[in-house]
Amino acid sequence: MTKIESETTKIDRETTKLAVPVRAKFQSVKRIGGWHAIGPIVIFVAILVVVAILTPAFIGGGGLAIIASSSAPILLLALGQAMVLNVGSIDLSNAAIGLLGAILLALTLGPVAGLSPLIVLLATTAFGAVNGLIVAYAQVPSFALTLGTLGIFQAVALVASGRTTVYVSSNGEGIHALYESGIANVPLTFWMGVLVAVSLWVLLRYTRIGRGMTAIGKNESAAIFSAVRTRSLKVLAFALSGFCAGLAGIAIIAQAGSASPTGLGSDLLLPAIAAALIGGTSISGGVVNPLTVIFGALTVALVPIATTAVGIDAQAQSLVYGAVIIAVVALTMSRNKASIVK
Amino acid sequence: MVHNALSKQSAVGIDTTAIRIRESVIERRARFRGLAEPLSLLMALAVLIVVFSLLNERFLTTSNFQNVLTQSAIPLIVAVGATLVILLGSIDLSVEGVMGATGMTWILLSANSRGGVDLGPWAWVIALGVALVLGVASGLIFTALKVPSFIVTLGMWYVGLGIATMLYGTDLLPRLEDEGLKGWTSRISFGLPNSFWVALLVIGLGILVLRSTRIGRVTLAIGNSETIVRSAGLPAFRVKVAVFAIAALLSGLGGILATVQLDIGSPTVGSGVLFIVIPAVVIGGTHLGGGKGGILRTVLGVFLLTILNNGLILSGVESSYQSAVTGAILVAAIVFAAWSQRDRLRVAK
Amino acid sequence: MSDVTTPPAVLRLDAVSKSFGSNRAVRGVSLSIQPGQVIGLIGENGAGKSTLLKILSGNYRHDEGTIAVNGREVQFRGPADALRAGIGVVHQEQSLFTNLTIAENIEVNTPIGRGGVNRLGLYNWRRLYADAAQALDLIGSHLNPKTRVSDLSFVDRQMVEIARAIRVSAASHTTPLVILDEPTAILERTETAILEREISKLRDIGSVIFVSHRLDEVMRICDRVVVMRDGELIADRSVDDVTEEELFRLMVGRETHAAVRNRRSIEPATKPVISIQDLTRAGSYTDVSIDAYPGRVLAILGTSGSGREAVARAIFGAEGFDSGSVSIAGYSGRPSIKKAVALGVGYVPAERKTEGMVGEMPADQNITLTHPGSAAIGPFELPRRRLSLARLWFEKLDIRPREPEHMLQDFSGGNQQKVVLAKWLNSSDLKALVLDHPLRGLDPGAAETVNAQIRSVCDDGTAIILIPDTIDEALDIADDIVVMRDGRISGVFDLGHDNPATLDLLERML
Repeated sequence: MTKIESETTKIDRETTKLAVPVRAKFQSVKRIGGWHAIGPIVIFVAILVVVAILTPAFIGGGGLAIIASSSAPILLLALGQAMVLNVGSIDLSNAAIGLLGAILLALTLGPVAGLSPLIVLLATTAFGAVNGLIVAYAQVPSFALTLGTLGIFQAVALVASGRTTVYVSSNGEGIHALYESGIANVPLTFWMGVLVAVSLWVLLRYTRIGRGMTAIGKNESAAIFSAVRTRSLKVLAFALSGFCAGLAGIAIIAQAGSASPTGLGSDLLLPAIAAALIGGTSISGGVVNPLTVIFGALTVALVPIATTAVGIDAQAQSLVYGAVIIAVVALTMSRNKASIVK
Repeated sequence: MVHNALSKQSAVGIDTTAIRIRESVIERRARFRGLAEPLSLLMALAVLIVVFSLLNERFLTTSNFQNVLTQSAIPLIVAVGATLVILLGSIDLSVEGVMGATGMTWILLSANSRGGVDLGPWAWVIALGVALVLGVASGLIFTALKVPSFIVTLGMWYVGLGIATMLYGTDLLPRLEDEGLKGWTSRISFGLPNSFWVALLVIGLGILVLRSTRIGRVTLAIGNSETIVRSAGLPAFRVKVAVFAIAALLSGLGGILATVQLDIGSPTVGSGVLFIVIPAVVIGGTHLGGGKGGILRTVLGVFLLTILNNGLILSGVESSYQSAVTGAILVAAIVFAAWSQRDRLRVAK
Repeated sequence: MSDVTTPPAVLRLDAVSKSFGSNRAVRGVSLSIQPGQVIGLIGENGAGKSTLLKILSGNYRHDEGTIAVNGREVQFRGPADALRAGIGVVHQEQSLFTNLTIAENIEVNTPIGRGGVNRLGLYNWRRLYADAAQALDLIGSHLNPKTRVSDLSFVDRQMVEIARAIRVSAASHTTPLVILDEPTAILERTETAILEREISKLRDIGSVIFVSHRLDEVMRICDRVVVMRDGELIADRSVDDVTEEELFRLMVGRETHAAVRNRRSIEPATKPVISIQDLTRAGSYTDVSIDAYPGRVLAILGTSGSGREAVARAIFGAEGFDSGSVSIAGYSGRPSIKKAVALGVGYVPAERKTEGMVGEMPADQNITLTHPGSAAIGPFELPRRRLSLARLWFEKLDIRPREPEHMLQDFSGGNQQKVVLAKWLNSSDLKALVLDHPLRGLDPGAAETVNAQIRSVCDDGTAIILIPDTIDEALDIADDIVVMRDGRISGVFDLGHDNPATLDLLERML
């Protein structure tokens, strides 16, 4: 939720007290809906303008296409994360799953060729589903659980890769083509993310499954009392996160042709969460728009370029990600004075 | 059960003996309960030690014993703070970032291979000041802005890493120059490694704070019910900020000791500590929901994990498996803790 | 009993009033309590007792009138102020830290900074335990102050709460006033006896306001009984001059009998939609058997300790039970919410905002959340059809304003409740509707329109199981009334031929 909305709740409380006509409240709600959809785009454009002014060569040199292509893995992970955030949970393991997927892909492309991506997607989806099953049925806090499974996936990635960078031995052409060929100079990996975003948007907007997920995120108790299949839907949200992580793994291999078990996975976790949050996803659940998450991912991909343009050390990237996450959540949280936050 | 039967008798003619008996039953039960959980942990520890000493003769040697103590010292120090935060019902994911930022600040202000200033003891003060600032920032954003602690500290983790990376810059590796400090952490005094003495001191102070100070008791009260804390007019806000500050200070101390141990400055000096600390707190029996648990239990948890890792490596298990082992233990521990509370109407995020 | 020689009253209320919007919950209440007096406060649900208590405990601020404690006028800005003035409230919901010791709980509100803490800022545990033991001793309890509250039974926990209340007042050097809000509701009979004894002992050190649903208790413990009805204090009697019978009549006011409506009698061939047999859940209810028939409203009456809400939740599958059976439309087995809904049961929870509705979702999406009806084809939703479907319900149930695309939280309470109803009515096969306090928090006008809808749903052949707020609500709408007391059924009335008076029902409840 946006900052403006938390103000309306205030107004809201006052209007109930003063019994001001309901109409006034209703209009303020409409206004917020608009901001929510546009906010992420505005942020992206604003940063882009700053970058363009400071380094004019960037736009001319096909900088936008570069950003789009580098944002693909972040976008895919962010979309999965957004689905999990939407049901009120968080998946700290999805970047590790994505990395494991990339390593599995690099290892299996040689032996099984075309079947390999399929196997990887099945595996990562299953990993996500296991996270979801434990969260839904054992009723444990998701951040703690996925912190634990993050450790497990990391170790599996280390062991599977033998602690070194794994290169695609053969049959890499098809996957590599996802990065090499593109539409409007932007690689297919990015468009894959856009396609996933649109599908998830349809899922959330036009299906009962999506409606149920959003209901869980907004008020899980009410969803339970409305006979929404809360457990299955949570499992599905985590499974989708695993699936998207698998796609992110494919995008990594398409781009680099190799995967390293150290670094990259944890390097993607925070940017992906940041992308989901900048893309208008609420940390407390129930508010998400996969289409604006695209702009969230683009913004995050712009951060390294923007920081350099503004003159901040490139080394400071993780500082920027960390600060951005805190700031975005702090600015957009819907707060209630009486509520207890843990 | 016994006490129910007793109180039923008392209903007939209310005399005090029945009440007294009931009161003594309550007391006996209470005394027993406190022992059950740590006992099972101690047993698990004993089993581990027996199994590993059978597997490898090097396991049960003095040098390995001191080695385990050195390895556990830094997680122990950090875990004391993490226990306090978890007792609030919150979480601190920022430990590795705070360790990195503090350790880097400290080494750059001490005698190192890059030259620069050598502030001596002031390096400690300034470095721990950095930790304090990060902790107070986390605490304030969490309490005043009501941002959930896991997200604040997740962000602060990376802010800390970023600060460390920026301080590190692109220069040469800062190497510790002070010969007296080199290897200080693992040097033995009075039979135990120096860093472990520091850990013991921290544990002692931690227990004192938790048992006998306003901060400690209100921390437990907040973990039990923040609603009641507020209606009782207790200082919830200040205590929460203070606890995050204490946790960050301890992470910072851990970061400096880790830098001493490593001999060089590295932004990722704390790498892997979070993965020992949080599972250790949870298997120690401190509830993630807050209010229940303690520091001594966490100490047992840290020992359990350090010995497990140490034993596995001695038994020839690749160190790559380490995070899987601790991760799996964390998963098992939280599932075990939550299993009995499952309910069809319960909401777990 | 009261001490004639001490003039300043422990508590004096003068024409205290409190309104919520148009609802005047407390109207001009005047009351005076002398040191050493135990006052019973009784009244039906909604009579204004709990509002009055919240004013005294500093949770609400009164609009008019004055409150004086020990002869000094006070204005409470929060619960802490009330405590400082010497008013200790023992609420129905416990307010102890279960993970801390008895001593800490007792001392928590006292200025620990002075006595219990030494110069280094550390607790002086010995002093703390001694002080707590003293406070416990004052009320005749010998619980060990080092015991953790989680190890205590409910009655002992209440003793700790009382000790704390006393301790706080003692610290402020005033005559303590302890308010006990239905302390016996959650206790077993045997425990109640112990508590009763302890309460009468409090006379020696302070005054007590004792709120209870159990009149026999009130008569035994108290010196005076005050009766509230419709927000007003309508009677103030010495227990010696009043009988239980009289108190009942005072609480009820007029002798209402079931409203003259054309009650339906059950056709011999009709089978019950919901039939529960010997349902038992330990500590909640025992051997409850109820049949609900299509086209009839069955109201379950009882006080907060009666277990009626739990029975309603068991029917909907939201809570388990230990033994007995629930059969819904012929199916009997362990119901889950999903199963119950599939069999045609709906449930309107008492906590509308937290359990009944998704406030941040548009009204139309709330209506189609459970049963999308024509607004979905398979898994796909059709937003336009959803909106027109919602418009139909808005029309039919007269939900205002007629803008179903707006967030449900922006509607008024009554309209929200109608949307919650519509969610269940949108089922093509609604057989039974369980309503848990459906009128809670609604103003009279909104309540009337919701009630009208409930009646018309019932007329369409749905069985209604109603947990009403008040007896009048049941008499107004029900065809059958089941009364529960302490987890058991204490009376069954078919309003087709029985004609119970409010008094009959109340007597079976208390």
